Amino acid sequence: MRQFKILGITLLWISAFTITAPAHAKLDVLATTTDLAYIASRVAGDLGSVSSIAKGTQDPHYIEAKPSYMVKASKADLVLAVGLELEIGYLPNILRGARNPKIMPGNPGYLELGPQVNPLEIPRGKVTRAEGDVHPDGNPHFTLDPVRASDAAMLIARRMGELDSENAEQFAENAKTLQAELSEKTKQWQERIRKSGVKNIVSYHKTLTYFFNRFGLQNPAILEPKPGIPPTSGHILEVTRLIRSEKIPLILVENFFDPAVTRKIAQEVPSVRVVVVPVAVGGASEASTLPELYEALVRAVEGGAGR
Amino acid sequence: MKTFQHPFAKILSAAAFAATFANSASAQVVQTPTGVPVTRGKALNPDIGMNFLGLVQESSQGSDPNSSFPDGISFQEAELLFSADVDPYFHGVGLFSISQDPTTREFGFEPEEIYLETIFLPSVSLRAGKFKAAFGRHNLLHTHAFPFIDAPLILDEIFGDEGLNEMGISGAVLLPTPWFSEVTAQALSGDNSLIFNSPTAPGYAGVAHLKNLWDLSDSTTLEFGASGLTGGNSFDAQSKGWGTDLTLKWRPAEGGKYRAFIWSTEYMRVTRELDPAGEDLGGIASWFQYQFAERWWAQARVEFVGIPKPTDDAATTQKQSVLLGFFPTEFSGFRLQYDHLKPSDAETAEHRVALQWNISIGAHPAHNY
Repeated sequence: MRQFKILGITLLWISAFTITAPAHAKLDVLATTTDLAYIASRVAGDLGSVSSIAKGTQDPHYIEAKPSYMVKASKADLVLAVGLELEIGYLPNILRGARNPKIMPGNPGYLELGPQVNPLEIPRGKVTRAEGDVHPDGNPHFTLDPVRASDAAMLIARRMGELDSENAEQFAENAKTLQAELSEKTKQWQERIRKSGVKNIVSYHKTLTYFFNRFGLQNPAILEPKPGIPPTSGHILEVTRLIRSEKIPLILVENFFDPAVTRKIAQEVPSVRVVVVPVAVGGASEASTLPELYEALVRAVEGGAGR
Repeated sequence: MKTFQHPFAKILSAAAFAATFANSASAQVVQTPTGVPVTRGKALNPDIGMNFLGLVQESSQGSDPNSSFPDGISFQEAELLFSADVDPYFHGVGLFSISQDPTTREFGFEPEEIYLETIFLPSVSLRAGKFKAAFGRHNLLHTHAFPFIDAPLILDEIFGDEGLNEMGISGAVLLPTPWFSEVTAQALSGDNSLIFNSPTAPGYAGVAHLKNLWDLSDSTTLEFGASGLTGGNSFDAQSKGWGTDLTLKWRPAEGGKYRAFIWSTEYMRVTRELDPAGEDLGGIASWFQYQFAERWWAQARVEFVGIPKPTDDAATTQKQSVLLGFFPTEFSGFRLQYDHLKPSDAETAEHRVALQWNISIGAHPAHNY
């Protein structure tokens, strides 16, 4: 059958490519988010080339499995993902379409960081979608905590060392450098937040949970009536009442959401500050690295640039 | 790599092995406070999901036996989906569809796609089983993922209302190009009653598809595909077909939750080599989808069947559709569609209005882009 001949010849041709493919000089790393890509690029330094699937301005839950990501993944030595069902809407498609067995879950070329860094907000009891877009294994936005981000760096360094044992020590050292830098800055940021006097913050979605947790802030309400459900007028009324009664000074809106709702609240309660913030590396021009992102968030709390 | 093993280490490792083996059985079972053992065996259950589509329809020509769905309230389709990794080598998928025959009103439960797919091969994925053939783009879609309530006319005309869905073996190769380029070649059982179903067994049929997708920018992609098919048909002649598709998609990197558009066009043409004049069926469908708010889509589609016209007096059909869709979440959707259908040999046009509800529960695998 001609069809089988064509299939056979195609397979032979493909095996020629894979058998003679040259070894990578640098580790080729594909991360799902820009935060993970930043951490990986600090750990890898010159020894790796890192790219990200999501852009810093996109809602990370709703990335589309563009085939161009499959091409990137087909060449990758290591795929870094948050896990905790953040990428469940697109990553399995990309991994299968990449046809790169090295990066399939269960192999060393695939690493999920979220479950390994002590996730917060793991729901208890039965979980259903009636509660909105819940993450059954915990809140996935852990990279907004500089301490957990450092933990992730150590895990990434260890895995890179397994894939490229010659440079294992260098990766570990780079991770420790990042950890030391973030640890030092975290003390300063904690001090500045304490001085700001801000205790309670309303946000649009639960993206900032880990940031609030690290810096001793409370998040008494979100604008979504349930995660993933756009704000309803009834719920906005409730939140506005809460802002007035509790004298909440600040609303932070993740910059991939429509700020129109928050502008309405700001008109109702002139004492509240509304700040649109980036929540990922590359989410705004002043947040092109993870330390810069944390700095932008701290300044938003302190009362700096409000948009 | 040779490692030196001290004799004592050998004994230790043997003991460790024995210990893990002894423990492995009981490690699966955890005693709860009530004393009822809980196993983690369920963790290996497949992902399970169900989709359901229901429909209310009214058309100006009453219940048309040629229409896919009757007027009134009908059960369009439900789908049960099971998927899991079989082992380190294969992934398995089982998709079953439940639908109601429009005339007899009987329910049927049928396998729609059941196949294994390799996960251990580089550059190529092989698939074996029952699956939707890679002819064009729309034929690969499951009903709940259709951009409109119904499939393009030309697809129904050429393949029937199940599309081209066969037992077969498929190989899809990711070409080593900087852009996404994929070649798919499929050997099929040739069961389709309209274009295959050869009386001489085994009636193999073949489908090939080339898919190219370019990132024009961070926000825009362009896909171009070409397809071909061949196989013996029930008239003991050879069916040959080809198709081409072009799709432009835009979703901005900033504000992408609230705006997007898709413009997709597909042309296909099949000849059954019976009577050259009457057996050359070709048509085109072009549709535009525009997301104008977080949960709202406005869409339009134009279709033409009869390109080329097999004979000067052959009938052609035109159809135009508009649709408004509301999606409370990614798991539920409501769509209102109006169709205007005008075959050239019909005196009056048919007008049809339909409201569809579309929900899914359970593990919902990501749709292809």
